[in-house]
Amino acid sequence: MWNSSFVSRFGYLLAFLLIAVITALFSLLRGALDTTLVALLYLIPLGLITARWGLGPGIMSALLTFLAFNYFFIEPHYTFTVHRPADIVILVVFLIVAVVISQLVAQAQAGLAAARAREREATQLYELSTALAGLPNDRDIAQILAKQVHAVAEGEYVELNITGIRALNIRIPDGHPPTRGPELIVPIEAARGILGEIRLWRAEPAISPSEKRLYQTFASQGALALERAWLVQAESRARVLEESDQLKSAILSSVSHELRTPLSTIKAAASSLRGKEVSWDSPARAELVAAIDDEADHLNLLVGNLLDMSRIESGALKPRREWNILPEIVGSVLGRMKHLTVEHKLKIDIPESLPLIPVDYVQMEQVFTNLVSNSLKYAPANTTVSISAQMEEDTIYVQVSNQGPQVPPEHLERIFDKFYRVTAADRVTGTGLGLSICKGIIEAHGGRIWAENLTDGLAFNFTLPLTWDGAKPPQLPMEPENE
Amino acid sequence: MSNAPHILVVDDEPQILRAIRTILTEKQFRVTTASRGEEALTLAATNEPDLIILDLGLPDMDGVEVCTRLREWTQIPIIILSVRDSERDKVAALDMGADDYLTKPFGIEELLARVRVALRHSVNRKGEPSKMVSAGPLTIDLAWHIVKRGEEEIKLTGIEYKLLAYLAANHGRVLTHQSILSHVWGPEDADHTEYLRVYMRQLRKKLEEDPERPQYILTEPGIGYRFIADE
Repeated sequence: MWNSSFVSRFGYLLAFLLIAVITALFSLLRGALDTTLVALLYLIPLGLITARWGLGPGIMSALLTFLAFNYFFIEPHYTFTVHRPADIVILVVFLIVAVVISQLVAQAQAGLAAARAREREATQLYELSTALAGLPNDRDIAQILAKQVHAVAEGEYVELNITGIRALNIRIPDGHPPTRGPELIVPIEAARGILGEIRLWRAEPAISPSEKRLYQTFASQGALALERAWLVQAESRARVLEESDQLKSAILSSVSHELRTPLSTIKAAASSLRGKEVSWDSPARAELVAAIDDEADHLNLLVGNLLDMSRIESGALKPRREWNILPEIVGSVLGRMKHLTVEHKLKIDIPESLPLIPVDYVQMEQVFTNLVSNSLKYAPANTTVSISAQMEEDTIYVQVSNQGPQVPPEHLERIFDKFYRVTAADRVTGTGLGLSICKGIIEAHGGRIWAENLTDGLAFNFTLPLTWDGAKPPQLPMEPENE
Repeated sequence: MSNAPHILVVDDEPQILRAIRTILTEKQFRVTTASRGEEALTLAATNEPDLIILDLGLPDMDGVEVCTRLREWTQIPIIILSVRDSERDKVAALDMGADDYLTKPFGIEELLARVRVALRHSVNRKGEPSKMVSAGPLTIDLAWHIVKRGEEEIKLTGIEYKLLAYLAANHGRVLTHQSILSHVWGPEDADHTEYLRVYMRQLRKKLEEDPERPQYILTEPGIGYRFIADE
C-alpha cells in the first residue's frame, strides 16, 4: 500500500520522472511518429499518473506534458514558439483534454476510495458488534472496545475510562499514556448519561472527521453493550438477594425450632429442680440434671454449626492447612466421641503407608465428627460404622459408612443441603447442618463429597488433594530405632 | 487469712462471674473478680492471687495483652477462658505464657481439674519438680530417662524420649505446637508441625494401648497436645 504522506512527497517527483522518460522515448521516435499521435500517446501516462498518485501530480504532469510537447514536438523544435495555427489548436485541445482526463480519473479514484472506506467502516463496526455481542462482563466489553479503537486507528495509545456503575480504566498498550494530551476524546454516551470516554493518541496522520464519526459510533456501540451487561448483572444480583432472603427466613424458622427444643428441656428441668416437686435424692433429679447438661451441649453444637455455616456461606471459611496425619485426626475424633460410640462397633481401615495430608486439622476433625455422628444417629445399635481411606495418585479417598437405612437415590445429593432431612425433623435430633458443613469444608479444601447407597447401608465418600499449592507431601528424615 | 488458694477471675460477663464465683467459693477457694483488663492488672499486683482465670474478650484490652503484661513481672498461673473458634487467640495467649485454656461453655469438672493442675505446677515451679510421672501402666522416670509399661522397658529414640519427657513433665497442661517444637527440635523448627505429627504418631504407637484412640497423649485440636497422668 502507498502511504499517503509518501505519495504526497514523492508522487510529484515520480510523475516528473515518468514524463521525462516518456518524452525522451518519444523524441527518439520523433521521425516515425506524427505530432497528433504523440499528443494522444501522452494521454496514457497522464491517466496512469492521476490514477496512481492523485490529482496534484496529474495536473502537474498535464502542464509538464503540455510544455514538453510544445518544446520537443511542435515545430520549431526546442523552442516554446508555435508557428502554425493548427499546432496552436492541437496544443490547446491537448491541454484541455489532459486536465479534464486528470480530473475525471481523480474523481473516479476518490469515489472508489470513499466506497472502500465505507466498506471498511461497516466491516469494523460489524466486527465490533459481533465481538461485543453477548459479553456479560463490563471489563471485557471495555477491553474489546479499547482494543478495536487501537487496532482500527493504528493509534499509538488508547485509554478508556468508565465511570459508570463500576469504574474501569483500560490502557492499550499497558503503561503510562504519552505526556502530551490525546489527539481525540470521544465520550461514551448512553441513555442515562455519559459513562466514560475514549482517549486516542495518534499524531500522524491527523484524525479525519470521518474517522472521528467512526469512533463515535464505536463508543455508542460500547455504551449499549455496557448498559446491557450492567442490567444483566443487576438482575442476577437481585435474584441472588431474593434467594438468600428466602434461605435466611428458612434458616430462621428452622433455627428457632431447633433452639427452642433444647431450651424447653432446660427450662423445664431447671424449674422443676428449683421447685419442691423433685426430692433431693430421687433418681428423677439425676435425670433432670443430665438433661440440662446434654441439652446445653446440644445448644452449643447448634450455635457452633450456625457460625460455621455462616462462615461457609460468606466464603470466610479458609482452611489453615498443615501437613497432618489422617489416623491422628480420626483417633482424636473417636476419642472425643467415645461415650457416643458405645452402642456401635467401629472398624477403622487406614493404611500406615498413607502420606501426610495438607488439611486444616480442626476443620477435618469436624468433618469426621459430623459424618460419624450422622452414622451413629441413623444406624441401629450393634451395627458397624467403618472408616477407611486409600490413596489414588494425587488424591486421598475416604469413606465413612454405616449399616443404617439407605437413602432414596433422588435424595442422595440433597442430603448435603442445609436443613434437609430424609426423615421427619422431630424424629431425629440434630442441627440439620452437619452434612452441609462437611460439604463446605471439603470443597474449601479442593475436594469433593458425595453419598452412596451400599448393599447393606449408606456411605459418605470424600476426596482430598494430596498436594498443597503443587507441593507433594514431605518425607521426614527418621531416626534409627535405637537408644 | 485462710490458706485457701486465692483465685482472680476476669470476665466481662456478670453471669459468668457469678457462676464461677459461686462454684469456686463452694470449693473453698477465695475468689476476687474483675471485669476489665486494667482492673485485673491492678488486682493481680495488689492482691497477689495464686491463679488467674482470664477471659480473652475484655472491653478495654485484649486478653492476650493482659497475659503479656502479667508475664512481665509474675509467673502466677493463668488459665485462659474463651469462646470456641478462637484457636489463634488461644495459641497466642499460651505462647505468651498462659498455662492452660478452657473453651466456653465448659463443664465445671473441667474447670476444677485445670485449676488443680495449674496450682500444682505453680508449686512445682517453686520447689522440686516431680521426677516420676505415671499414667495407667506407664511410668516415666525423668531423672534416669527410663520409660516402662508395667515392668517392661519401652525403647524410645532420642527425639521420642525428649518429646515424651517434655509432655510428661508438664502433665495435665496443654503445650502448644510451637512450644513443643522449639523445645524438642529447637526454635528454628518451630513451624514444622509435620515433624510433631509424625513423631507423635510413633510415640503413641509405642505407648498407647490403642494408638487410634489415645488415652495418655491427647490432641488439642488446633492448639497442641496434653499428657494425662494419674492424679
